[in-house]
Amino acid sequence: MSRIVAFTLALILCGVVPAPAADIPATAAVPAPPSAHGQGQGKKVDFNREIRPILAKNCYACHGSDEGTRAKGLRLDLREAAITPLKDGDAAIVPGSPDDSSLIARITEEDETLRMPPRKAGNRLSKSEVALLERWIEQGAKYEQHWAFVPPKKLPLPVVRNGSWPRFGLDRWILARLEAEGLKPSSEAEPHVLLRRVSLDLRGLPPTPDEIKRFTEDKAPGAYERAVDRFLDDPAYGERWARIWLDLARYADSAGYGSDPLRPNIWRYRDWVIAAFNQNMPYDRFTIEQIAGDLIPDANNSTRTATAFHRNTMTNTEGGTDDEEWRDAAVKDRTDTTVQVWMGLTMGCAKCHTHKYDPITHEDYYRFYAIFNQTADRDLPDESPLLSFSTPEIDEKVKKINAEIASLKKMMEGIPRDTPERKALGKKVADLEKSKPVVSNIPVMVELPREQRRVTHILKKGNFRDTADVVQPGTPKSLHPLPPGSEANRLAVAKWLVDRKNPLTARVAVNRVWAQLFGAGLVETEEDFGTQGEPPSHPELLDWLAVTFMDRGWDMKGLIREVVTSSTYRQSSSYTPDSPGDREIDPRNRLLSRMPRYRLEAEMVRDQALALSGLLSNKVGGPSVFPPQPEGLWQAAFNGQRTWTTSEGADKHRRGIYTFWRRTVPYPSMAVFDAPSREICAIKRIRTNTPLQAFVTLNDPVYVEAAQALARRLVREGGKTPEDRVKFGLALCLCRPPRNEQVTPLVNLYQSELARYRQDVPAATALATDPLGPIPDGMDPADLAAWTTVANILLNLDGVLTKG
Amino acid sequence: MNPDLDLRLQHARALTRRQFLKTSQAGLGGIALSGLLGKARAGAASPSARTPDSPMAPRPPHFAPKAKRVIYLSMSGGPPQQDLFDYKPELIKHNLQPCPDFLLKNQRFAFIKGHPKMLGTPHKFAKRGESGAWVSDILPHFHTVVDHTSIIRSMHTDQFNHAPAELFLYTGSSRNGGASMGSWITYGLGSENQDLPGFVVLISGGTDPTGGKALWSTGFLPSVYQGVQCRTVGDPILYVSNPKGMDRDARRRSLDALRRLNEAELSEFGDPETLTRISQYELAFRMQMAVPDVMDIRQEPESMLDLYGAKPGAASFANNCLLARRLVERGVRFVQLFDWGWDLHGTSKGNDIVYGLPDKCKDIDQPIAGLLKDLHQRGLLEETLVIWGGEFGRTSMNEARDGSTWLGRDHHPHCFTIWMAGGGIKPGVQLGATDELGYQIAESPVTVHDLQATILHLLGFDAERFDFPYQGLRQRLIGVEGDGHVRKELLA
Repeated sequence: MSRIVAFTLALILCGVVPAPAADIPATAAVPAPPSAHGQGQGKKVDFNREIRPILAKNCYACHGSDEGTRAKGLRLDLREAAITPLKDGDAAIVPGSPDDSSLIARITEEDETLRMPPRKAGNRLSKSEVALLERWIEQGAKYEQHWAFVPPKKLPLPVVRNGSWPRFGLDRWILARLEAEGLKPSSEAEPHVLLRRVSLDLRGLPPTPDEIKRFTEDKAPGAYERAVDRFLDDPAYGERWARIWLDLARYADSAGYGSDPLRPNIWRYRDWVIAAFNQNMPYDRFTIEQIAGDLIPDANNSTRTATAFHRNTMTNTEGGTDDEEWRDAAVKDRTDTTVQVWMGLTMGCAKCHTHKYDPITHEDYYRFYAIFNQTADRDLPDESPLLSFSTPEIDEKVKKINAEIASLKKMMEGIPRDTPERKALGKKVADLEKSKPVVSNIPVMVELPREQRRVTHILKKGNFRDTADVVQPGTPKSLHPLPPGSEANRLAVAKWLVDRKNPLTARVAVNRVWAQLFGAGLVETEEDFGTQGEPPSHPELLDWLAVTFMDRGWDMKGLIREVVTSSTYRQSSSYTPDSPGDREIDPRNRLLSRMPRYRLEAEMVRDQALALSGLLSNKVGGPSVFPPQPEGLWQAAFNGQRTWTTSEGADKHRRGIYTFWRRTVPYPSMAVFDAPSREICAIKRIRTNTPLQAFVTLNDPVYVEAAQALARRLVREGGKTPEDRVKFGLALCLCRPPRNEQVTPLVNLYQSELARYRQDVPAATALATDPLGPIPDGMDPADLAAWTTVANILLNLDGVLTKG
Repeated sequence: MNPDLDLRLQHARALTRRQFLKTSQAGLGGIALSGLLGKARAGAASPSARTPDSPMAPRPPHFAPKAKRVIYLSMSGGPPQQDLFDYKPELIKHNLQPCPDFLLKNQRFAFIKGHPKMLGTPHKFAKRGESGAWVSDILPHFHTVVDHTSIIRSMHTDQFNHAPAELFLYTGSSRNGGASMGSWITYGLGSENQDLPGFVVLISGGTDPTGGKALWSTGFLPSVYQGVQCRTVGDPILYVSNPKGMDRDARRRSLDALRRLNEAELSEFGDPETLTRISQYELAFRMQMAVPDVMDIRQEPESMLDLYGAKPGAASFANNCLLARRLVERGVRFVQLFDWGWDLHGTSKGNDIVYGLPDKCKDIDQPIAGLLKDLHQRGLLEETLVIWGGEFGRTSMNEARDGSTWLGRDHHPHCFTIWMAGGGIKPGVQLGATDELGYQIAESPVTVHDLQATILHLLGFDAERFDFPYQGLRQRLIGVEGDGHVRKELLA
């Protein structure tokens, strides 16, 4: 590129207005479906895809469903209202006649001050947007309901030319779109590449050399499916998929704010989630237990533990807070999170006023809020109510101690104060109190007794002290009703969410699974299925998956199994040479003409390094652990816990999901790899690529230790010559046969470092042993230091940090 | 490989080698300071396009900015305005007399219970500088720089607990999840030094601010714009140091091997993200040099350390002020200092206003005056916006929690004082006033969103239009619904 061209390009790219950052999707996310292609001027305008976004973005703020902000009585979100003449006699829209429609007149008005939308509202309409609106009015100005509020339907599978490629229905939907665009799917990935991919996706861990061997040696048909089933049966599957859910559940081991007190037993909820995934609890049951596990007829300690889902809200223990203010904040969080997690909608703005874009009114919000407003918790520092995990033995012991204390106290009554006898007895009582076994307990949802139920008001502008009309609990009026005859409580809402009439729950669930496996959802805006979100790239496929998911009893493993055994999933992720995914037609690979390739998430980066080095502990569940972190990071305010006591033994090397998660100071290496703080529900993680990540995987003592252990493994298991060991390391870490161009630089690195460390044994010893521990018998410090350098690089390879 | 990728790869290789040659020539002691500074300034002159491997490339805002960088001095806990900048003789007259009933009507307090007494300041005030601003005697160094500053005595907020008030001030929303001011500004402007983080956080007082890491969080913005905490004890940035036993040459050799393997990966799979990763590892290598270098205040002459009252090796506000200057000098966009210890309730001698407050003032007074003078002397103040203030104010009443006999004040959202200097601020302005008892605002109230809009304006942004789409909403620093007004009275 010439300098002049480069400079001009730079100027264009800079823009005067800050454009979205480089990693933000451009607006033209998905190539338009074939129906809208190349049919010239008169082609049919699609309201949902082409018109609604324009109206929603530019008009609804003042001419939408919110009465409070509606200007001039004009409403454009309902056809009926938009075509009715206003007071001055003009109608905004005259179907069939753009020239008579005042909407067109106002958006093309020459006088800047009169032109709509007003300057203050932000953007002006582009010529093409105006042209679209004109054409749409000319064609009759038909409105359609937003796709996501229409229940999903299973359409007949499309016809495809390449009939041998699809394995399942889902492949046919993918292929049909590719063929319509003149694209072809990529060839199938190499077997070991595929095995690594599916192992990471299902378990968050790479396959072991034995697993690779077993798979590549299984020549009978169905070898891949059998490997998938083994992974699905591995308890590591539950750990991997629980991780995703825990972001949504804003699960953390502390209460948030100020001193951010610890929640030392809340891990029991985390273990419930892991077990639910491993047992393949159907998603409808999974939903009901977490929202209302205390209200179901067969409630037990396990289902009550599940309700900690909504006790993961923060508790504000800062001195001098108004508990009611923060109880209200927690109830709002529960309301918002429920709708976000299960229905992919943002209700947040309806706290203050009617949603400007989606059919949720201010009143709807507080009706829904009212359902969550009846639990006994109220932002108390002790987090009550709690579910106790006592055992009969503990109960017995406590009972005995209490009896002893009671009798001692009785004895004390007769003895004057400040006498030695009384003091001695007092000390005995204190000692006994201390000897009581600590009962583990977790905050859970408990419904208030009927007579203590709260009255819920609409809150003006969301301010908990500014109450308006009283509302009765219920669900948004524009959606399907609660199950008839049921009390409007959390149980009814849980059932309402997983009711087949709910247009969103299944779609959102399958989309989430899709996003985990393909790096982006069919609806790319996982967090927003509303009118402001992106439309699905494959609407029929989304619905097909959603309906199938419900038909099969909300079977999570079944859904995942089908996707990962599909032809779509098995494609190669290579951009070259045989990926015909034309950059011009589909630059972002939304049509999946190849498998996307992207960086592993925070926990996987850690878990993989520990697994490859052989350090990883496979213990499932239990209290959260404290792997090494730099000193002095916990500097909590107001006497908050400051001591991070590093775990010992195997607990230093547990999977990332077990790392103690403190909201105000998240574990640094995870945060650097985009793990959220979990103060609030995080629907999706952004994937960044920064130098701070390089610091973690190069220099964090956790990763240095992994490199040291991997170095010893190379020496022990990798054969005799440096070439053999490098090849072993590459094959181990990348799960594919090494190539010479990879081997040579690492062998050279080994040689240069060996020479250097021979000159400096103290440095060699430090690099090979700190923090892992002494050099094993028969090994040489310089040799191990050189291999540690190589192992450190192996763990930093792009191909290792990436899922291909 | 596609031709564009190939070009970028060639460019990256050339850059890497040049960079390495340069470091080798400069010796392993560090790239010469002038080199770093030169690079930063050269970068400033040529805004470049942002690509995935250069998310921090500088770019212009909506309109020509007055300020190019920000130093925000955050006094965590809420300093008492009546004892520092808001002189209230009438309140002094009523010292320790019962509070009039009307002040208590419909009021919520964090700690005050029952019927409190008024609390006049025990400290002397005088008019200072040419602007004649009333300033307390316990800020003697500040008197010498008061004419650089513009004082706002009519700030108010709607939060009266620390964490929510800090979140509101620094992210625009009192609930977690928003993007911080520093992240917004770094996102909008990029940074003028590609070898340092664009947004740096420095903490003193031994305790994190109550809002925690959320105060410098990137929220819904891409996480590269997150504030990076630099420390004066331990690794200046977490994990910036090579493992024990590995020196910089060894690291270079190992990164060369890594690059070669990653280039092979790139030609095999053609993934542009691989190219980004290659350049991020090279950037990390440069940062390993640049970060310890900028954080090493021993490079400063004795006179400069004295100006700030800085002592190498300490974790002090004074050191952080000096570091702030070193960082902005090198092109870092936003530097935020958090100093703990301003929550002066009067529950003990250490946190009362007679003894604790003057001690706290000693921690910050000289360093701040030093910072303003130093920036001014270097010609940096003109384009560096300096802001000082806490998250809310303190009551005009004595708190007397649990009968405490130490004098102290409770949280007070209705009025507080902040000041600004440099970067397009008209020096000597005194904006707004409180009533005679320093309890409510009497004129020109300034909201938190006004302050944010004004800061953004000075940096060249229209706060109304500076947005980011998330969850179907136009997210803004001033809130989705908020309206912030640029306070023109403050502008030069």
